[in-house]
Amino acid sequence: MKLTHQQVSNLIELTVTTKNDSLGCDGCLELMDQFAQADLDGAEMPEALEAVRVHLEQCKCCKDEYEALIIALREIN
Amino acid sequence: MTIAPHSPAPIRLIAGLDMIDDDSLYLRIKAEGAVRDDAITELRETLLRGLSKSLNNRYGQPFNAEDVVQDALIKILSSLDKFEGRSKFTTWAMTVATRIGISALRRKYYQDVSMEAFNTDDGYTIEIAVDTESTVSDAESRGEILAVLQHLIDTELTDKQRIVTRAFLSDFATDAIATQLNMNRNAVYKLIHDARVKLKDGFARAGFTSDDVLEPFV
Repeated sequence: MKLTHQQVSNLIELTVTTKNDSLGCDGCLELMDQFAQADLDGAEMPEALEAVRVHLEQCKCCKDEYEALIIALREIN
Repeated sequence: MTIAPHSPAPIRLIAGLDMIDDDSLYLRIKAEGAVRDDAITELRETLLRGLSKSLNNRYGQPFNAEDVVQDALIKILSSLDKFEGRSKFTTWAMTVATRIGISALRRKYYQDVSMEAFNTDDGYTIEIAVDTESTVSDAESRGEILAVLQHLIDTELTDKQRIVTRAFLSDFATDAIATQLNMNRNAVYKLIHDARVKLKDGFARAGFTSDDVLEPFV
């Protein structure tokens, strides 16, 4: 498959922004409700949940889901 | 309101977080009869309101919140024992419902998308096109970085890492890739992440910092 210029730029950005991620999607999904709660409450993020933030920065799929979740929660709160 | 005798202790005793507003709904759902039915209706309306706002037009898809909420309620009610009170009950329930809703939207969206990225007739290759966007001043640095990138793709990445990277760069969501390759989302994410780490480490070994790599492309 031949990459377009945009895809090459995206790959380069993905490469340089990579961080260690100990959580993965499964771990992120397990903690997402707690992370959202702390986020909504404006509380100081517990250290145990910082790994969620790192994962969300790197996983578009989970980030998308999280953004939708926050919109829904703001709507009902 | 009467709570059934077998209802559990208020969840803030379990969790240590203050979720007073939410305890009632959780306890009523764990109760029986009309109390439970009313609580389920209340939760259903809450989920409908939230999802109608958050998922409408996402992925350019018409969104039927009623169907998703029905599926979500089934999942939530059968998973109540997994709620540990670390967030408000409605936050936990909305998390479950959002996952179900977004997964349904993604499944529909990717039904109509080209699967070219998964076609391995070309041998899992990722080929970087001739760079036509460079200027006189950055042509040399861009050319050097693209040559290293191509070399790393060819020599460091496994076939599986190349196929998921191709799909990801073609805008497939991780769980859509997982469906196509009969894998789970976590495994796909790990393949992509490991590929990114290999490329980053490869650039470092070749003497390039992240800034060196990024600068000619911004």
